[in-house]
Formats: sequence, C-alpha cells, structure tokens
Amino acid sequence: MKEIIISIRRTPYQSLAGFLVLFFSLFLSSVLFISLSFVNSLLNYLETRPQVTVYFQPKTPESNIFKVRDDLSASGKTLSIKYINQNQAYDIYKNLNKDNPLLLEMVSADILPPSLEIFAKKPVYLPEIAEYLKKQGDVDEVQYQKDIVDRLLSLTNILRKSSLIFFSYLLLMSIIVLTTTTSFKIALKKEEIELLRLIGASNTYIRRPYIKEALFMGTTAAGLTFFIFTGGFLYANTFLKGYLAGIPNLTLDFFTIKLTIWPLDIIFLLLMFLLVLTFGCIIAVGSSYLATRKYLKV
Amino acid sequence: MIVFDKVSKKFPLGNFALNEVSFEIEDNEFVFLVGPSGAGKTSILKIILKEIYPTSGSVFIDDEDITSSEFTKTTRLRRKIGVVFQDFKVLADKNVFENIAVSCQVKSFPNSETKNKVKEALLLVNLAEKEKVFPIQLSAGELQRVAIARAIVDERKYLLADEPTGNLDPKTSWEIMKIFKKLEKKKTIVIATHNSDIVNSFQKRVLVLKEGKLIKDQRKGGYDL
Repeated sequence: MKEIIISIRRTPYQSLAGFLVLFFSLFLSSVLFISLSFVNSLLNYLETRPQVTVYFQPKTPESNIFKVRDDLSASGKTLSIKYINQNQAYDIYKNLNKDNPLLLEMVSADILPPSLEIFAKKPVYLPEIAEYLKKQGDVDEVQYQKDIVDRLLSLTNILRKSSLIFFSYLLLMSIIVLTTTTSFKIALKKEEIELLRLIGASNTYIRRPYIKEALFMGTTAAGLTFFIFTGGFLYANTFLKGYLAGIPNLTLDFFTIKLTIWPLDIIFLLLMFLLVLTFGCIIAVGSSYLATRKYLKV
Repeated sequence: MIVFDKVSKKFPLGNFALNEVSFEIEDNEFVFLVGPSGAGKTSILKIILKEIYPTSGSVFIDDEDITSSEFTKTTRLRRKIGVVFQDFKVLADKNVFENIAVSCQVKSFPNSETKNKVKEALLLVNLAEKEKVFPIQLSAGELQRVAIARAIVDERKYLLADEPTGNLDPKTSWEIMKIFKKLEKKKTIVIATHNSDIVNSFQKRVLVLKEGKLIKDQRKGGYDL
C-alpha cells in the first residue's frame, strides 16, 4: 500500500487522469449494463403478460363475457383464456396499490371492469383476435400488447448494438489512456528498471508495483461507481416505485440464476459491483501489462 | 569461472569494441581490466551481464555458454553477478537499507533473512549508522559504498565493477578499494579501471586492452599500457 501511495504521490496528474478515465468508463458501462438489464427484464415481463386483454363494461352480464370466451376458444386460435371478474380485478388493484390508502379508498369492485386475458397460439392470430373483440357490443377497451413488445424488442436491439459499439469505444479509450499514463510513470523509473534488470529482477518483479497500482485504481474506481449507483438508486427509489407501480417485479435470466432487477435486489447490486470490479481490474491491469510489456521488450 | 573464447564485438559502423579476445578467470580470482577509453573494458563487463551480445566467439560462465542461442536463463545468470557502476546507480527514492535490500528482494529472500544480510553488508561497508538515510544526504564515497553493499549483500559469486572510483577523490577511492580487498578470495572480482595507483599497489592479475584487443595478461601486473 505504501508503495502504491508513493507512486501516486510522485505522479499525481497521471494517476488522476488514469483514475478519472477508468471511473468514467466504468460509470458509463454501468449505465449501459443497468439500462440493458431493465429493458430486457421489461421485455421478459411483457412477454409473460396476456397478449390481448379485453375489458368489458362494468355491468356486462357474465353470460355475454362467457359467450365471447367460448367463441374464441372454439376458433382454435387461442392457447388459453383467463376470465378476471370484478372482485378479482379489485384484489389485483389492492395489491398494486397497497402502499397508497387514498387510491384504495377511491375505488370499489363495482367500478372495475371484468376482463379476459387471452394468449394466442401464434402471433399472427393476434390482429384477428383483436379485431373480433373490438366488434363485440359490451367491450370497453382492447389492449393489444404486440405493438408494445415489438417496439420494446426493437429498442432493446438498438440499445444492445449501440451499447456494444459504445462499450468497445470506452474500452479502447481506457486502455489507450491508461497505457499512456503508465508509460509515463515507467519512463520516470527507467533507470530503476534498468538497474533491476541488471541485478536479476524478473519481469514479474518489475511489473508487480504497476500491476498493484492498477488493481488499486480498478478497485477504487469500481467501488466509487458502485457507491454512486447504489446511492442514486436508493435516492430515486420512491420515484421509481411510483413510475413502475403497475409492475410488481422485473426479472432477468443470468446464466442459471434468475435475477430480480426490480424491486431493487442486493444480489443484482452485488453482481453489478462484481462485474464493474472485474471489468475495472481487467482494463487497469491489462493496460499496465501492455505498458510494461512494451518497455521490457518481452 | 569466466571464459572468453575469441570474442569479438563489432559495431554497425564497422569499428571493433572487442577483437578476438580470449582469457579465463578462475573462481575467486581478482582481476583488473585496464586500458584507455574505448579499449573494450566496459564491453567485456556488458557481455558478461548479457547487456550486449558478441558478434562472434563464445563466453562461458560456470561452463554454460551464455552466448548460445539456446541460453535463456539471463535472469538466473544476473542473479549470480553483483555490479558496481561508476555513477553508483543508487535509487533516489529509497533509503540506504532499501537500496541494498533490493538485491535480496529480486531473489525473493524472506524479510528476516534480507534484514540480516543487509545489516551484515552495512557493517562491511561501514554504513551501519546510515541505513535510514536517503541517497541525497550521502557523499559520493558513501553512495559507492551503498552500491557495493547492494552488489555483495546476497552473496553473489561474481562482482563486476566498472570504474568504481571514477567519480571519487583519491582518499575515498582508496577507502572503496579497501572494501574490494576485504572481499578478495570470497568472490570472483573483475574491476575495470583507469586508476594506475590502485592497480599498481594491488599487484593482482591485470588484463590490458587496447583498441579492442587483449595485449597483455599479467598475473601480478601493474598499470602498464
């Protein structure tokens, strides 16, 4: 540690430049990582929702609703149809707004619409089903998720591609800046390195202080990024809760683990920290390795 | 044992730093390399350290041909050799103790062993009371003593010195040479020097070089160009 602090104190501007670039890259990478996680999990969420939801007028007799359901089932185009009566709709509403007593007071079961949640066998049947439902007399509203899913899918693809390009740019920029700043430091220690080589120091021994400093910078930058994000999330928690009020939870498959993205979960935050830490250390150590490699002519 | 067998070093412009130089230095021998500037003294030391490569000929150290393309153990070879330079090459940001300990650290000695060895070396070069002092606070003679301590601290078999008294006044030069004298018979010592008084008074083996050629090899010689 003493060695690292001395090295930073000896070349404060180079160290600061390296640290800031690394922090900037890690911060932006985290923004990309979190945005992608949210959009992907939102997409997963929407894909598990009914593809078509039809809301009937609140006073529609159940027999009319069942007739629509039976006609649709008989068409052979649906996979399943779930009927939600007014009481069930009220239970769902209560669950979604359990933290807001004012909203609960204002609503009762009899003003909520009964609905059918319909899953089609094939996406191509969705427009046909939606059109059929719109023509029924007691129908209040038809929610057709395909457009939303398609838009979100297209947004995810754009975000994924632009993230890849942006991430590559950040990676390249960080490596170039860190390699350059480390090279400056090495140039200042040129005589010491020459001496160490002459007295039989291995390349590993000569590299060790630079690698240690790189690890220190990587860890510090990752730690700072993590604390800023965690702090930001905690600060915005109330706002996010309101904004995502209709969404009970967002999950994402990460290899074999099912990660909970929303509500904020410690496992997700820890994973983010580990990824940022690994990324930061790899960039910093890799850059130091490149800088010393050039100098040591290995 | 160091063996030079018809070693030549030719520079790109065609001039020879060494021209078919052959000699043998036995273990624990004390040898002076003398000759005018550009005679090839430093080139011999640099070839032993594998800082430069000869154009032709072979160099054997402890029966290993270090000039062979198959020789890849440069780090191991250098760990057998202590080096003292004319300009001391003492690290400015490390104190005396740390400067000397560096030789042990590159060989991964345990801290306790390093500490003991550095203390012994400091006693040998009479710097026991200055272990915490930084180079900027030391005289030229003291800096050279630090460099010698660094070269001998971990019991390296060979000690090469390139003009070790070149930057020192006569009195300090003699103090430095007394340290080399103490190490006689314990190590193979090769000293490249211009200092005729020292060479003449030591009466050790002298290899005389001129324009890259070995022109004299005297068992108990003096500074006779």
